[in-house]
Amino acid sequence: MSAPSIPNLLSLRSGAAGGRGRGRGGSARSGRSGPGPRPSHDATIQGTDTDAAVSRLSAVELGYLSDPFARLFVQGPATRRLPIINRGTYTRTTAIDTLVDHFLATTSPDEPRQIVSLGAGTDTRCLRLFTSPANHRNIAYHEIDFPTIMARKQTIIATTPSLQTTLSTPSPLSPTTWQSHSLTPEQPTSPNNNTLTLHGLDLRTLTPSSPTLPTFLPTAPTLLLSECCLCYLPPQTTTSLLHHFTMSSSSSLLSLVLYEPILPHDSFGKTMVSNLAARGIAMPTLDVYPTAADQERRLREAGFVRSESVDGIWEGWVSEAEKERVDGLEGGLDEVEEWRLLAGHYIVAWGWRGGKGDLDVRIAC
Amino acid sequence: MSDLDRAIAQLRACRPIPEAEVRELCHKARELLIEEGNVVTVNAPVTICGDIHGQFHDLMELFRVGGDVPDTNYLFMGDFVDRGFYSLETFLLLLCLKVRYPDRMTLIRGNHESRQITTVYGFYDECLRKYGSANVWRYCCDVFDYLALGAIVLGASNTLPSAGGEPVSSSPDADEIEIEVRNSDGQVISQFLRQQQKDVARGRINRSTPNGGSSAIMTNGGATPPPPPSSSPPTSTPTHTGPPGSSATSTSAGSIGNPAGAVLCVHGGLSPLIDKVDKIRLLDRKQEVPHEGAMCDLLWSDPDEIDGWGLSPRGAGFLFGADIVRVFNQRNDLSLIARAHQLVMEGFKEMFDASIVTVWSAPNYCYRCGNVAALLELSEDESGMGVLARSNGDVNRSDGGMAAAAATGGWAPGPGGASVGGSGGQRGQSIVMDGGGGGGLLPARAGPARRYRVFQAAPQDSRGMPAKKPVADYFL
Ligand SMILES: [Mn+2]
Repeated sequence: MSAPSIPNLLSLRSGAAGGRGRGRGGSARSGRSGPGPRPSHDATIQGTDTDAAVSRLSAVELGYLSDPFARLFVQGPATRRLPIINRGTYTRTTAIDTLVDHFLATTSPDEPRQIVSLGAGTDTRCLRLFTSPANHRNIAYHEIDFPTIMARKQTIIATTPSLQTTLSTPSPLSPTTWQSHSLTPEQPTSPNNNTLTLHGLDLRTLTPSSPTLPTFLPTAPTLLLSECCLCYLPPQTTTSLLHHFTMSSSSSLLSLVLYEPILPHDSFGKTMVSNLAARGIAMPTLDVYPTAADQERRLREAGFVRSESVDGIWEGWVSEAEKERVDGLEGGLDEVEEWRLLAGHYIVAWGWRGGKGDLDVRIAC
Repeated sequence: MSDLDRAIAQLRACRPIPEAEVRELCHKARELLIEEGNVVTVNAPVTICGDIHGQFHDLMELFRVGGDVPDTNYLFMGDFVDRGFYSLETFLLLLCLKVRYPDRMTLIRGNHESRQITTVYGFYDECLRKYGSANVWRYCCDVFDYLALGAIVLGASNTLPSAGGEPVSSSPDADEIEIEVRNSDGQVISQFLRQQQKDVARGRINRSTPNGGSSAIMTNGGATPPPPPSSSPPTSTPTHTGPPGSSATSTSAGSIGNPAGAVLCVHGGLSPLIDKVDKIRLLDRKQEVPHEGAMCDLLWSDPDEIDGWGLSPRGAGFLFGADIVRVFNQRNDLSLIARAHQLVMEGFKEMFDASIVTVWSAPNYCYRCGNVAALLELSEDESGMGVLARSNGDVNRSDGGMAAAAATGGWAPGPGGASVGGSGGQRGQSIVMDGGGGGGLLPARAGPARRYRVFQAAPQDSRGMPAKKPVADYFL
């Protein structure tokens, strides 16, 4: 029955074996952008932050999330993402918010506690925390990313009129480090003591022997956040980087929250790896920690550990009423099977050392 | 060369046709579709396809694998548009083919053939981008409203014809093959015999696996080296006993050579408001897909491993269990329901003792999911006991489809070969037709022999076609 007049497109793939996309292979048939200089991996990874910022704004504009700061970090008009991506942005943001809130709720507000966001990019979580109705106090928030990214962020903070009442103008602590204080216009007499430090540095340079970061508090309870950051680094580098913090901190509580892709070896995962590779994005740790169990093992040395897939978080952490609200925003999610695939390939994993059962989050709904 | 043929040639090259031609085409298509009933009658042989979702290059691969139009009769079960980057070219080509070969192309409506859904999932934006206005989107949506809601396939054979490639006839059990799976080169990946009893089936299926008798053949995908990125062969584990996605049936086959019971094709599934196919015929379909009700359910529901009915996670339609399908098929003298709507990694999935099958025809869905696609071929019964040949249209249209259908189930062929035409009249059999559930006593109708062809995503950068490399979104 096969129609001979229709060419077998698959057979046109030159040297089907090689396949990997990159090489000589298909370039003769235009399609691909051709030789030309590829952007460096660093630049490409920095581009993923733009992607995340655009996705965040999409979710905010459609009502999934409330975040008045999302607009500040996207140039041009908002791009509407598909519902499946919006739900993913919603779920991962809500999950990490929950863990951060739990960290803050289980540490004393009368003493300094700190949050270190690795590869923070344009993340707005700090701004949302500092303006939260919960009136958080004594938070030392650190954001670490490439110097160019942090420089741009401090410029935006310094020049955005609507932020003038939220943060003080960042003051340089070094050519690549800036610090702002959180302002609380309602109660100007009782300072909240919240600070944001922007550390412009290459995470790969942080090793157990490198000096403690400026303004880092060695004895304060500490939460490390990696929202799709460590996955872009070689495994030895991430180990060394995490050791930097376990060595720098003598606090009785050190926690780590990871958000990363998993399962690169099934057919969805292989497609993901190959699609991202075509965009120049490599995730070296994905091969080393391919499953939720591997991620947990990685965190185990920190002490206790838990993990949950984004799919599981949506099912188990989001209340039925909230699910109904979110699903109603775009007329229901038609991409059910695809959601399970995509959301099943990302996890939030968290581990902690010390504390009193901290971050043993069991969300009831 | 007619204008229509020229438009077809242009669309086959994945180039949109001018707005004025779209308008003309949609007008002609509406005139044609308005004559079709809500449930179109189709005679085997026919090739049944699931969701396409604007993956134009993969539709070309589908035609290569399944045979070109008009050599092969096609029945597409909806969701032509959205998600992929070539919804426009995909839908317009299918529509052109429908207008050009109305009796060889059947298009039924999917839940994405809707104004509301297409504004969220891409087709509206695509039309705007490609024409600078929403006119073409509006013309297409007006056609959507006229698409049939379902189809009934009559006259499908209980046995597979030989189909080139591997010599099926050399198998001693050729007549007893119920399910055959072939790859995109036509090579047999696996075959499964009709069985009298399930436990026997488990033992025999492995032995009867072709190409060397080891089920490991299937896990290697036959002779198809999996090209990246959609690299998964259609398989599960080496130890499974049914074909991928199937539950090899245990039903008694009846006498081989008799035409199989009718097959209902619908995009989503069943509705608690529809106990008989004839009730579908009574709906007023010429409207936007409603948010609830029978028409909505037919386009949105999914089978699931539950008892009875359940709420759908999609927020529209329902979930329905094996018991619902069994009763419905029996009451309507159906041997099988073919539906689409749900992504299945292996391209097809039979459920509930093969009383319902999901067919998915968008490989590497959204350029992201890594799945293979499938089409389902039902062959023509040549035993001389087939049914009245009819072209597309509502069998009972002349009398409104009501009286005859309500009394008899109208379209169904009797097991003894009695054909039932459009005039109502007698049934030659004693199928339970009351509304009381009727279930459990009679064995399920023997299903038609089913040949699945499984295929992978075509590369996007193929010669002669626009070559925008799609970018799949991830959580980054
Ligand atoms: Mn659908």
